[in-house]
Amino acid sequence: MKILRVIVSLLVFLGGLAALKAPHVAHLRPYSLVYPSSFGSRFTIPENNPLTEEGVALGRMLFYEPLLSKTNTVSCSSCHQQSLAFSDNRRLSIGVSGKPTRRNSMSLANLLWVKNLFWDGRVSGLEAQAAFPLTHPHEMGQSLEISAKKLSKTRLYPPLFKEVFGGATITGDQITQALSQFERTLISANSPYDRYLEGKYQLSATEKRGLELFMRGPAPERGVRGANCAHCHGGVKLFQEVFHNNGLDSIAVQDKGRQEITGEASDNGRFRVPTLRNIALTAPYMHDGRFATLEEVLDHYNERMFHPSNLSHELRTATNVEGGKTLGLTSAEKKDIIAFLHLLTDSTFITNPAFANPHPKNKPIR
Amino acid sequence: MKILRLIHTCFFIGCVLVGNFSVVAQTLSITGEVKTPLTLSINDLKAMPQTQVKAKDRDGKEHEYGGVRLVDLFQKAGVTLGGELRGENLTKYVIARAADGYEVLFSLAEIDEEFSGRTILLAHTVDGQALPQGIGPFRLVVPDERRPARWIREIKTIEIRFAK
Ligand code: HEC
Ligand code: HEC
Repeated sequence: MKILRVIVSLLVFLGGLAALKAPHVAHLRPYSLVYPSSFGSRFTIPENNPLTEEGVALGRMLFYEPLLSKTNTVSCSSCHQQSLAFSDNRRLSIGVSGKPTRRNSMSLANLLWVKNLFWDGRVSGLEAQAAFPLTHPHEMGQSLEISAKKLSKTRLYPPLFKEVFGGATITGDQITQALSQFERTLISANSPYDRYLEGKYQLSATEKRGLELFMRGPAPERGVRGANCAHCHGGVKLFQEVFHNNGLDSIAVQDKGRQEITGEASDNGRFRVPTLRNIALTAPYMHDGRFATLEEVLDHYNERMFHPSNLSHELRTATNVEGGKTLGLTSAEKKDIIAFLHLLTDSTFITNPAFANPHPKNKPIR
Repeated sequence: MKILRLIHTCFFIGCVLVGNFSVVAQTLSITGEVKTPLTLSINDLKAMPQTQVKAKDRDGKEHEYGGVRLVDLFQKAGVTLGGELRGENLTKYVIARAADGYEVLFSLAEIDEEFSGRTILLAHTVDGQALPQGIGPFRLVVPDERRPARWIREIKTIEIRFAK
């Protein structure tokens, strides 16, 4: 597939619109998002928060800013580390209280295209999302007002906020807006799999078998072997924004997932399908980090799944053995799929200097 | 913006309350560019004229699906069909959404039987049985389509919109 680089001229337009409404941002430089045309433009950027070079740069500083936490020790990057595709390597994360978070930290890649954030999709829009970790007692534990006040007392931040947002005082909304601008730029589209789609990477034999198994549904009556992963984790971005029960428990009691949002029993234990981009870097796996390795994940789908009444229809019915009750992949086939999953690691994403900690190593000047 | 956010929060709190104290029966709602928004239970649907269609599912086998014609539901909700389906109304489209968030799109003209000559069914039975969990209680059936990708399972909402 040929990948065309799309520059969103819309942004320039939005930037212009916002400039009409808020004269102070007129001098800011619009930020051009660059992504493959195959990713499509099914996303919306709030009209009152257009991406600008200056806003993104400020958001990046805030993403790495421990002053935004009650203890001045925790920043977004504590649980979302670039080297791990902006996730962490713990089963559950640790914030200011020292107590574990309820769920496993999520990778922050290609969020521009995600509408319903968190494992249960309970928040729409990055601006609204950011307020959760900032204020949650087990994450950063500080009100937006206090955060704004602390930043106002530094030498570093007041001129930057003034440049980006105008106005004399820093507000909580400005903090979440700048963070969101930075997060929208975290685009991962340069893994070997992407290069394969562009015709620039040659698959090994095991990777090719893994890709075919990943993409295809099994049909034993026609001699077709498959794992049907792409039904949920397919497409160039490697996720469909849908909620499913993938058989982790016979009934979800501690964490009911989507049911907690919709109140419907049929949503018990349903969670958002996460992207598999950079999946080799984001262990442990699932909303509660229960699986340490991709091998355990494959064992789950292949032979360990529970069958709650609302188990996804696709997972319930997929089998490689006529009349079979489990997926029935061989251990060699599981290894092939894992080889394919390693192709989804985008090494340029995790080393991109534009996403790295911008603060000087030795004590930043505040 | 603020008002929207408030509504959002109320909705969220409402859902949490409902979630804790009762089980919400599964319904289908029809919203958007309609005169009367509808929220229908399985019993509401059974009380309407029933239609049967034969069609091949993904398994390649023919099944008999029972339910209500989508046009009848649209008529009940007051969607512009028939003689009213002209001019700017031809820029209307329909988003059908499943419980898992899966979405598919139809143009309104595709759904109007007078216009397209096809019957799209909101099915609740297959071969005389209620649709099983994971597929029902409601599913769209588009008999003449070769790939059943728009036969959306566990359908929850149908929204009629204007292309703007
Ligand atoms: C203490 C660890 C911790 C800190 C600090 C933290 N997060 Fe998170 N983050 C998590 C966890 C855990 C989740 C998943 C929570 C859930 O689904 O309920 C998450 C989820 C997210 C998501 C949702 C991603 C998706 O795909 O839906 C975003 C966005 C996010 N965090 C951004 C941030 C930002 C911005 C900050 C800083 C303001 C931040 N996080 C600070 C642990 C943390
Ligand atoms: C019916 C949809 C569906 C299918 C098919 C499916 N998955 Fe998943 N997958 C999910 C959902 C939902 C989750 C999140 C579940 C949770 O955490 O509760 C998930 C989570 C994962 C995770 C963990 C992601 C993370 O960030 O922790 C991996 C890895 C994964 N799936 C791999 C696969 C593979 C490999 C296949 C094919 C054998 C597959 N999935 C098939 C729905 C599906």
